[in-house]
Amino acid sequence: MRNRATPWFFLAPFLIAFTAFFLAPVGYAFYLSLFIKKRSGFGPAKDVFGGLANYARAFTDSDFLHSLLNILLFLVIQVPLMLVVATALALILDGVKNGFAQRFFRTAFYLPYTVPSVIAGLLWGYLYSKNLSPLNYITGAKTDFLASGILLWSIGNIVTWTWTGYNMITLYAALQNVPTDLYEAARIDGASGWDVTRYIKIPLLRPALTLTAIFSVIGTMQIFSEPFVLRPLGYVPDNITPNTYLYLAVARDGNFGYGATLAIVLALFTFILSGFFLKNVRGES
Amino acid sequence: MKKVALKSGALLLSLALAASTAHAADPAFPKAPSGNVTLEVWSWVPGLDKTVAAFTKQYPNISVKILNLGGGPQTYTKLTTAIKAGSGAPDVAQVEYGFLPAFADTGGIVDLSKYGANDYKKYFVPWTWGQVSPDGQGVYAIPQDTGPFAMVYRQDILKKYGVAVPKTWDEYAKAAAAVNAKSKGAVKLGNFYSTFAPWFMALAWADGGQFFKRDGDGWVQTLNNSSSKKVLNYWYSMIKKGDVSTVIAFSADYWNAAGAGKIATNMEAAWGPGGYAGSLKDKSAGLWRVAPIPQWTAGGKVASGNWGGSSNVVTTQSKNPEAATLFALWLNLSTPAITANWNNGGLFPASDAGLGLSALDDKSKNPSKFFGGQNISAVYAQASRGVNVNFQWAPWFPFVNDNFNKQMDKMLKGQLTPDQALDAWQAESLAEAKKGGFTVK
Repeated sequence: MRNRATPWFFLAPFLIAFTAFFLAPVGYAFYLSLFIKKRSGFGPAKDVFGGLANYARAFTDSDFLHSLLNILLFLVIQVPLMLVVATALALILDGVKNGFAQRFFRTAFYLPYTVPSVIAGLLWGYLYSKNLSPLNYITGAKTDFLASGILLWSIGNIVTWTWTGYNMITLYAALQNVPTDLYEAARIDGASGWDVTRYIKIPLLRPALTLTAIFSVIGTMQIFSEPFVLRPLGYVPDNITPNTYLYLAVARDGNFGYGATLAIVLALFTFILSGFFLKNVRGES
Repeated sequence: MKKVALKSGALLLSLALAASTAHAADPAFPKAPSGNVTLEVWSWVPGLDKTVAAFTKQYPNISVKILNLGGGPQTYTKLTTAIKAGSGAPDVAQVEYGFLPAFADTGGIVDLSKYGANDYKKYFVPWTWGQVSPDGQGVYAIPQDTGPFAMVYRQDILKKYGVAVPKTWDEYAKAAAAVNAKSKGAVKLGNFYSTFAPWFMALAWADGGQFFKRDGDGWVQTLNNSSSKKVLNYWYSMIKKGDVSTVIAFSADYWNAAGAGKIATNMEAAWGPGGYAGSLKDKSAGLWRVAPIPQWTAGGKVASGNWGGSSNVVTTQSKNPEAATLFALWLNLSTPAITANWNNGGLFPASDAGLGLSALDDKSKNPSKFFGGQNISAVYAQASRGVNVNFQWAPWFPFVNDNFNKQMDKMLKGQLTPDQALDAWQAESLAEAKKGGFTVK
């Protein structure tokens, strides 16, 4: 008896927290997602049971699908670009012999991540301002960085600026764990600096790269504050990202049921995408 | 220094009291409930705590806790969530007129006619009561401040380009062309706020435009009404010719352009001048003036619209709705309160007697001081009297508000004509309202 209870005793804190902060909210969100707004004449709206009506709406909602498309574009362009830059920076830092330079650049690259994303959005909002942008001032152009054609790129730039240093630190830490005898052996075999990078460092970075890539995929799905703080500065579409769209469904339109539905669909989408990604990476190695 | 300010403030307050008692005494407020009561109030009015001190002096058994949430969408999100959650909402909250029906729709705010609010209708500027009591029976809030439209302008720039203050829209368009030509495009007469639907709606409102109307058990929505089309086509033709700019309101770009004298006029609500005085205090102070907005026909009564302004709702979660109603009425009708609201927060009163408040005419203080000592409140009071009474909002206005930006973006990019943009605005908003379960035509 006592033996059987012991594991539960130790598991209890986790199980309680898992239930309270994961299962319960997800369950509540699913419960909410089954309700639709019903209005008869004037007066307060009622939430009535609608079955899977909200799900049917979500999968045919062109605005929502468009927001998912925006995210896919992010995944194809922004995430690889950011990880390539982060890897390059990590390799450079790893190769630098000067301790001071190494410490200085490590901090400098990491610094943007310490700026909260809301503040980063506001900062970049000023830099993007059509008539005040330093970039426009230097080039003499009148680029509107918040025009709907390039807005997604402008947001991608903020995200890259914020997260490259963060990913770089993870990759850099992984490089510190590479046993130095591998380098010695390679050098004895006559390998050049580039050979060491190409055949030792990059292959050994693979687990760290998988990790940062997965985090970036999940992070991309959650992009919210950057487009949200840019909203007052110009026209930012409601459906620029899935999160802004579902936030507006709840906070602006008061439709908690539909918002919950979108959140669940988005979570499933994230789950499938990251699973797909993991499976393919594993398959390769 | 501080003491002097305080003293002169007190002096003004007593003067104001004396002046207002001369032409309109404060109304008799409902009886205060007995026993100790605590009210929580969510508001973004600066310095409201000072006003409340005067309230608790008068009603010692009611203590008021103020929470300043800063206003804007976040405040509404918090209120919506608290209403949905069934707990955590305050007793009294500040809500803009346009967003009031959306809160009435949640069922989270009290119909104050139960507590005798209708008896106070006569004390408010008529159109403001229409905003809080659309059917003339239920009262969903007590009007607080207003934003009737007037035109702010740079006297020096108009003089420089030899342009008289335009009294009609026809004169305005001609002046815009003249300023643009003479300045070789460096200075624009005006600016079109493409991301503020209520700004545009106020201009159509001044022309008698109606966007929403209750119809039996449903609604009629006409975002593409004739006034709306007239106003948008008018501005679009000036935009296309480059006679007016389209800088985003309240952005760094906007204040920079206005301060640097690149924008010579603007249609601004009564709460706007305070913003000018605050944001441009080091630039162009004393050069600005206020005039009535241009009219479509010369010589008639000055018609105006309203942008923004707010009201105080009482939530159904309040344990003391009577005390909350009393507070909301006192805050917006008593002379000390409306005086303090103006002095501390620049709230242009919705109270009828408030329009004649002597504190509004103080030319030695901002915003009048910034406007060269002109009595700008007199212009705004006249505008408030000229606001069309029959103007209503719909519960899905928050969506309509955002969708406007989308259509204007397409119009400015040349993808839609003004008429097409308004038709798309109407169609998409109608579809959304129907999806939300509203009966709407």
